Amino acid sequence: MKSEQLITRRESIKKLLLLWSSLSLGGASLISLPSIEPANASANASRFLVDGVGRTQGYSVKALTRKTFDAAGGMGKFVSRGDVVAIKPNISWARAPQLAANTNPEVLEAVIQLCQEAGAKKVRIVDHTIHGAKRCFAINGAGMAAKNTGADLVHPRSSLMRDMKMGGNRLDVWPVYTPVVEADTLINLPVAKVHGLSGLTLGMKNWIGAVGGRRNALHQDIHQTIVDLAHFFKPDVTLIDATRMMVRNGPSGGSLSDVAMMDRLILSNDPVAADARAARLFDLEPESVGFIQIGHQQGLGLYDTAISRHLEVAV
Amino acid sequence: MKIKHLVWLRRCSQAFFLLLFVFFVVESRLPQDVYLDYTQLVNGEQEIRLQQPVTIFFQADPLVWLTSLISGHVLIKGFGWALAVLVLTLVFGRVFCGFICPFGALHHLFSYVRPALKGKNLARANSSTGSRRVKYFILILLLTAAFAGVNSAGIMDPISLFFRSLALAVLPGAGIGLKEMFDFMAHSDIKALNYLSYTAEVLVSPVFGYDYQAFKTGWLIGTIFLLILFMNRVRPRFWCRTLCPLGALLGLCSRFSILGLSKDIDRCTQCGKCTQSCAGAAQPVPGEAWQKSECLMCFNCHNTCPEGAVAFKWRGPKGQAGPDMGRRAVLGGLTAGVSLPFLSRLDGQIHKVSDAQLIRPPGSLPEKAFLTLCQRCGQCMKACPTNVINPALSEAGLAGFWTPNLIMTQGYCEYTCTLCGSVCPTGAIKTITIREKVETPVSIGSAYFDRGRCLPWSGNGPCIVCEEHCPTSPKAIYFFEDMVKGPDNTRVKVKLPQVDLKRCVGCGICENKCVVKGRPAIRVIAAGETRSMRNRILL
Repeated sequence: MKSEQLITRRESIKKLLLLWSSLSLGGASLISLPSIEPANASANASRFLVDGVGRTQGYSVKALTRKTFDAAGGMGKFVSRGDVVAIKPNISWARAPQLAANTNPEVLEAVIQLCQEAGAKKVRIVDHTIHGAKRCFAINGAGMAAKNTGADLVHPRSSLMRDMKMGGNRLDVWPVYTPVVEADTLINLPVAKVHGLSGLTLGMKNWIGAVGGRRNALHQDIHQTIVDLAHFFKPDVTLIDATRMMVRNGPSGGSLSDVAMMDRLILSNDPVAADARAARLFDLEPESVGFIQIGHQQGLGLYDTAISRHLEVAV
Repeated sequence: MKIKHLVWLRRCSQAFFLLLFVFFVVESRLPQDVYLDYTQLVNGEQEIRLQQPVTIFFQADPLVWLTSLISGHVLIKGFGWALAVLVLTLVFGRVFCGFICPFGALHHLFSYVRPALKGKNLARANSSTGSRRVKYFILILLLTAAFAGVNSAGIMDPISLFFRSLALAVLPGAGIGLKEMFDFMAHSDIKALNYLSYTAEVLVSPVFGYDYQAFKTGWLIGTIFLLILFMNRVRPRFWCRTLCPLGALLGLCSRFSILGLSKDIDRCTQCGKCTQSCAGAAQPVPGEAWQKSECLMCFNCHNTCPEGAVAFKWRGPKGQAGPDMGRRAVLGGLTAGVSLPFLSRLDGQIHKVSDAQLIRPPGSLPEKAFLTLCQRCGQCMKACPTNVINPALSEAGLAGFWTPNLIMTQGYCEYTCTLCGSVCPTGAIKTITIREKVETPVSIGSAYFDRGRCLPWSGNGPCIVCEEHCPTSPKAIYFFEDMVKGPDNTRVKVKLPQVDLKRCVGCGICENKCVVKGRPAIRVIAAGETRSMRNRILL
């Protein structure tokens, strides 16, 4: 059954009226409401890795995003008609888009549109932000992207956190930001940045933004907890945004001099391969990045070099 | 216009301004749907400002205008509204109290909608007593102290008090209650409740947002507010008659007003209805002298008199009582007003010491000038998106009670946010731009490590959450790798964080996000703030 727990203000009133009328008609025991089910599709057996490269001056980021997905068989491969899609970008910092602390809003907007074209019933943008959500969404472009596309931008709040069993090496039970798991399709949409402690922040580390609780304690065993989280949140596909890339002073940045224009997108259904590929953009061997290496070791995925379907597209 | 209609006009006007005031209180926060167009963000950052003129009630408050002028020698933005109110008072008397003041309207509501007292008891409660002089005492105290450099008007100013009470006590109180209810419903096993909670939370979010505000000493602000409201059941409009310094100021101005109450003692049957309905305890009954400066211009007496014995007329009769201040209230007020600045300097806060925890919002004036302007209204605290600004208890000394103070365990100062200064009604916090804040840089304090608690420094393992969040570029918190002694004679390889004081702006996100709660391992103190020459650290 589809989950429809999160709704916009406009819909709320309608649904509230509907709910009350049905309550008065049928009695509480008779209504059937959608149940919550973690709907992580099982990992696709055929792994792929797509490099999207923006070669021309002033290329369209949206066109690049579309072409990258097309190379992998189109968004229809991940999103079925009537799906509820959760997109997990990194929109945690109240920083302007050009500072590359957040997922490029143009990429975000393009992915939302692709989902909508593939027939998604509802697209939700979900991230448990670090800075206050209101200022994040106002400044980093996520709010505008949601407004332009009609996607739901979910504001993080305590009532949406629920303790869940992770069963990881380090994390057993941890509060999870429920809209991330209450979806038919989950798309991971991180931005590539450097990070003081973990070295890099890419796709797997993006899941720290999908949990609540004492997140700052995760630093004490950062690589293993990242892998634990990546085991729990199995996305249908990961698109790493490296159009702009933060190469120093990460993960917050704050200056244009911290940003390198890379004009790259990396798409894969293997979370380890996507991160491994992105690590090379920073001139790092994947084996040298703790969480990539542990992820590989613990069977989460393969290194990029082991992926047979490795494609490249360019605009 | 018939007098009946005038009374209804008053009620409508009171309701309108009360609702408008509440609306502005609610609107004093970052709107939920301000989305900057990212395609326009090419150079620098765009300022985010509130869309509503949320400070207009402060601009229309003559007490705010007057105390800012005599204390800080500043004409505040929009003071023309206050002058308009004064002119209105000179012509019509205290119509501000009767028609406009939202706090007065609330008291009117509590006093006269199902009043607690009836008949003779109500008439007795509405009789004029010497307690009315207290407000003149307060007014003179505040003005004298303001003149001598300590502007405490905001503690008693009705607009400030009402704003503070709603913003820091009533709304957060309701918000906490809702949050607990939503959390309970969301985590219940009954699906219908989950559904309702999600829906309802979205519906109330324009008012309460999703992260609920809490304020230090909010309980005290709330208790005082409730007490003042309760007093209306003992004496109607108790606040307006007895305590309100703005009412006293307008009372003094009203003595020249041309609208007067004429009384016809021959028609009067001594039924007492005028006194029972009198909001200001201004002695409307024929045979006694009408207290012009106490009259709130509610027009109830005129409306209620069955015999037509009292009526408002242009150029009312002579022989009306002037403002009854009482010699003791005047002398007492002067004495207390002169004493207050001395008393408040006794702790040495301005000249000698500085409380480490007295961290002011970015753009605040130097402490001495700050205390001449701050109204303690709570506007900056309400608007702050991270809830870091709280009313001070003792950090700023006697003169700074309830002035804004940043508590980094509550929130932190967002690096590119300049909202607090833009909503300050008097300019105690200057309006600064993001560029000014970042490039100057405007520093509000500085961070230091408590190495005994810090996980890496104490050998308890890796962390550097502080470094991750540090917003400056390059980061003011940097680290170096080293081996430290850990438990059981182990040696642990960790990244050890340090603060670069040249770069630290004291924003406090490090303290806020530190994994050590309560008293974090990295803390911000006021030392190093740019606004104070004395408080700087580096050469």
